[in-house]
This record gives sequence, structure tokens and C-alpha cells, in this order.
Amino acid sequence: KRAAVSAVRMKRPVSSLSLGSSLKGKLVRAGFQFTTDLQDLNPEHLSAEAGVSQQEALEALQAASSGHGVAPVTALELLQKEEEFRSIVTFCSQLDEALGGGVPVGKVTEICGAPGVGKTQLCLQLAVDVQVPAVFGGLGGQVLFVDTEGGFQVQRLVDLAGAAVRHCSLLAEDEEQRVAMTTFTVETILSNVFLVRCRDYVELLAELHLLADFLSNRPRLRLLVIDSVAFPFLRLHDDLSQRTRLLQGLGLRLIAAATGHNIAVVTTNHMTTRLHSSQAQLAPALGDVWGHAPSIRLLLRWEESRRLASIVKSPGHMDASVQYQITYQGFRDADQSERPPSKRPRSQTDQSASSRKNTGT
Amino acid sequence: MVALLVGMCPGLDEGLLRSLRAADIRTVEDLVSSDIEDLAQKCSVSYKALFAVRRVLLAQHTAFPVSGADLYEELLSSTAILSTGNPSLDKLLDSGLYTGEITELTGGPGSGKSQVCFGVAVHIAYHLKQSVIYIDTTGGLTAGRLLQMLQTETNNRDEQMEALQRIHTFRLFDVCALLDCLYGLSGGGGGGLHMACVGGGSVKALIVDSVSAVIAPLLGGKQNEGMSLMRQVAAALKTMAKDFSVAVLVTNHVTRSGSGEAQPGLGVSWSHVPTTRILLERVESGASGRRSATLIKSSRQACLIKEDFDLQWWSRAEGGRGGGGGGETSGKRKLDETDP
Repeated sequence: KRAAVSAVRMKRPVSSLSLGSSLKGKLVRAGFQFTTDLQDLNPEHLSAEAGVSQQEALEALQAASSGHGVAPVTALELLQKEEEFRSIVTFCSQLDEALGGGVPVGKVTEICGAPGVGKTQLCLQLAVDVQVPAVFGGLGGQVLFVDTEGGFQVQRLVDLAGAAVRHCSLLAEDEEQRVAMTTFTVETILSNVFLVRCRDYVELLAELHLLADFLSNRPRLRLLVIDSVAFPFLRLHDDLSQRTRLLQGLGLRLIAAATGHNIAVVTTNHMTTRLHSSQAQLAPALGDVWGHAPSIRLLLRWEESRRLASIVKSPGHMDASVQYQITYQGFRDADQSERPPSKRPRSQTDQSASSRKNTGT
Repeated sequence: MVALLVGMCPGLDEGLLRSLRAADIRTVEDLVSSDIEDLAQKCSVSYKALFAVRRVLLAQHTAFPVSGADLYEELLSSTAILSTGNPSLDKLLDSGLYTGEITELTGGPGSGKSQVCFGVAVHIAYHLKQSVIYIDTTGGLTAGRLLQMLQTETNNRDEQMEALQRIHTFRLFDVCALLDCLYGLSGGGGGGLHMACVGGGSVKALIVDSVSAVIAPLLGGKQNEGMSLMRQVAAALKTMAKDFSVAVLVTNHVTRSGSGEAQPGLGVSWSHVPTTRILLERVESGASGRRSATLIKSSRQACLIKEDFDLQWWSRAEGGRGGGGGGETSGKRKLDETDP
């Protein structure tokens, strides 16, 4: 009996093929229940039997004979692929440590927080950090910034880019790094950021439909930022079930883009109040439906006068809370303990002195 | 609806088939439910021949009754119980995942469903030394985390790599790809991948994380294919569980009912599919890794029993009893048994 089990082949019903529902209905009514019934038939015969056009018969036969699915990847191969790709540093070394290197490539990360806590600042910082050349430990990639709220300010990006360039030029030690610095300037950083402004959810969905083409033309793209994903959907409150479906489809598309093209997807989300056993709590907006889409969730919040970033959801890291601050130069560690993100030893004292001057900003 | 074809049974030749088609009899059901005398006259065939054909077709296509005793014998010989590696979960599941059945884990975002799936996959791959098929539709599969979990079980790098090689992963993001994959694994696609080829034929568990991510966007609204595709996936998973004697573990999202209570997603139609359902929740107080699991559907135990466990210490029972410290190089627990 054991031997017989391995020879068992399940018959695939025709209704599970990816064909139009009317075509499937006609095939089933004509008696073709399984794909094995459709084998060895020619299109003319099938179209006569089932009463469908030649074109549809051909389509049905192709669907029946193909479709084995992809080959599996063992977890070991997956591990090797993961170790190849670096993460995007945030320049806040404590947060990078908690995240195991930074925002990971190939996953969807969400940044939630109340208004004014620094979500857009972190997105702008990541847009600069993804472009750090590979010799400094970065990815040297481009970024697509989808702005739905109008919070994108070019001037702020220029400030952050300038700070990053200064930081890296101070770190440059050998010839290779000095050569890399010639291509890492404020102008090149700005030219590698592709900005798209979407005014409502239709434009956002349309933009993501075109994403696959955009990504295949730009193999250097390593980061997609959507700031914010909540804003266009918060206005859709008359048809909540449609909103749910759109969000689920959007989530799937983002995950497919992240894993298929090896890019990091970062989205931002607002906070909303949820009543939990007569207690009001702040929770990320868009509900549990959207909550399943991002793999990693960062929560930025104020606690008295400190800014805290917490990891509230992650498949690979423990929940943790770190303190950060936003200076003139961008997203940084709190206090004076600013350490450079690369593994090179700290060689500059004037660097940390100038950051202390700007802490008050 | 089974089509009438030449050679299906002796006596059903080309000529008879043509005359039956002319009388608009295309399927076995049509033939069996029509009046033989009438049909014999219309097709100008002998009554006896048609009656004989009908008898053979009925014998070929009826279901065969099996006695309860035989069924029980078969169950005893073919079912295995796979421990999940976590004593609290095993207690809820009546000592583990049963092969031939679908078990469902449901919970809100961040409640630990993927972590439990990782723990189960690592335990089966490392301790039970069987192959696992992991279908990921959420993009949350991190091989680094699997390695981390293996490192708490053993320090031997070779054993870790060997265990990782026994976990076969698929990344799919739409329901048609999922159906292609499932039927491909069962050999129904006409060649290609077959369960017997993957992992040297010793696949004992199939984990789908999560099944709701690909089905939920298709339900509701003006879409009419959603329910049908959901049923296709359910049928494929159930048949695979039974025919190949594997334990199927799926995850599902939650929706909030009117009073704010969490209930499993995908509705009432899906609730009949899994045999056992567990709801995972975060424990508000306590360490960040603590979760509570509640049994909400089971045919073997009383419902609504609750167990707490810690995601950080997978093989320990609550309170540190059981399996011993993390870092033990050989599991001294017997396979498929829980600690007393």
C-alpha cells in the first residue's frame, strides 16, 4: 500500500485552471471535468464538443498542459541569497542594530506614528542612505518616492544629502573610496530619486500597476517609498469592503514587487484611536487588514520629551525600543553617542563636535 | 459530469457513441438517468446492449462502501502525529499535528503565526528529520530566523545546514500560482514536480502561510470567482493531506465582529475546512515574546482551553520546565511524544 501511495496522482479539476469562468462552465457542462480529459485532444475537436470558439479551445488546452508551478527553493539557498543582500542603514546605529543591519531588502517595512513624529524624515533619510556607494557598506541604488500627502520637500533632501556626502568623504581612506566619492555628490543623489505625486487612491493603484515595467527598466532601483499609504484610503469610508479588497490587493502587489525584484518597500501609516474594552488606544490606521501586509512594523512615538522608535512586528527580530533624534543632518542616534554606520574606526572628532552643535535644532 | 468516450466499457463503440450523441446523451449521468427503452428505440440499438452498457458504467462509477473497522485499521496504520516542538501547543493539539488533517492558526498581525510556522518547520526538519514544504504568500519567510531557531537546538553547523536543506520553500502571491503549485506537487499537472521527488519522498508536513492573503482579495464585491477558488484550494489541500498522509498547517487572518471580538477570517464557508483551529493572541503584560493560544475548534478536545507560551523558547513549556535549556545538542525527547 505504501508503494501505491507514491504513484498516486491527483486529478486536477478544470474549474481550478486560470481561464474565464464562462469558458470553464462550458467545458464542465460538456463533460470535461479533469485536465486528464483534455489531454490528447486537438482544438477543432474540443471546440466542436464543448461549443466554444477555436481560440478558446486552444487557450484551454494550453492551460491544461502547462502550469506545474515553480521549483522549490530550499531554506539553505534562501539563506545564502539573504546574506548576499545588505540592508539600508538609517544612520541611527541603535535602530540599525535592533533591525539587524537596517531596513531589509526584499521585505515590506511600515513606519507608523502620530503626525509630526518624523516618518517623512526617516523616509527621506532612507532615500539618501540607499545611495551610499557599495565600498562604504551601502547599496548604491536608486529610489522611487511616491508622495501622496505633499510632504516631500526638496530643500530638506538637499540638507540630508549634503550631510551624508560630508560624512562619507570624512570616512574615505583608500583610493577606491575616493573614486566612489566622485560619483556620490548632492547632484547625483538628487538625480537618483524618482518622485511621483499621487493625489488619490486611483492614481496610487495605477502607479503600482506600472511598477513592474518601471522596475525592469531600472535594475539599480533598490528602494520604493510610499508616503503615506493611509492618506488616500482614509477618505474611502463609504464602501469599506471595497477599501478592504483594494488594500489587500495593494499589499500583495507590494510584497510581490519586494521579493521579485529584490527591493526594499517602505510605507508610512497614520495612527487612529481604537476602543479596547472602554479604553482608548492609539493603533495603526487601516485596520488589521492592512496590518498583515507589512512584514516589519516600526512605531515612532513621543514619550515625554524623548523620541522612541519601537519594532512591533518582525519575522526575524525581537521587539525592541530605541531612542533617536532628528537633527539638521537628519535621522540620528539620540545624545552624543553618534557612531558612524560603517565598520570603519571613528577617525574624526570634528564630526561629532559639529553634530553636538546642531543637536539643539 | 463524466463524458462518454469510446472504449469506456465493452460495447461502447464509435457507432453507438455517435447515435447516443445524436440523441443528446453526452455524459454518463445523462445515460444512466434516461429511459433505456425509449433510448433504444430512438437510437435503433438493441435494448439488451444498452442495458449491459448502463450496468457496466454504473458499476464503474459508483462509490464503494467501506466498513468502519477497515477505516479504523487504515487510520491506525497511516496516521502519524507530528509534535510541534512546543509542549504547550502540543497539549492543545492533543499531542501534535495529525497527518491527513488540516490545522489552522489564526491571529491578528504580529500575533506570532509565522513564528509558530517557523518553529514547527524547524522542529520537523531537525528533530524528526522529515522534509517540510513551506508555501509563503506573505513575504515574511526569513531564512535567517530559521537559522537562529536551529542554533538554539544545536551548535553543529553541518546539522543546521542539513536541517535547512529539508525545508523546501515556495513564494507565491496569487491564487492561481498556489493552485498550480499544489497540483504540481501532487503530480496532477501531468509531470514536473511530484511530492515523491521533493525531499526524497519523506514529506510529512505542508505549511501554507498564509492562505487568507491570496484568497481574501477575491471575495466580495462584484467578483463571483472568489468562493469557487476558495473551495478549489480547500479541496486540493484536503486531498493532498489524505492521499499523501501529510499534516497540513495553514494560517488565517482575523476580522473583528460587531462587538470587537476577534474571529477567524474567510468566513463561515472556510470554517468547515480545517479540522482544528487555534487562535493566537499577544499577552499584554509580561515579556514581549509571550503569546496565548486558544483552541476554538477541535474534534478531539474540549474547546476554549487556553495555553500560554513564549516565542523565544520554543521547546520549553511555560515556566521553564520540559525540554531543557536552549543549546542542548541532542534532543533527548522521544520523537512524537510530549514530555509528561
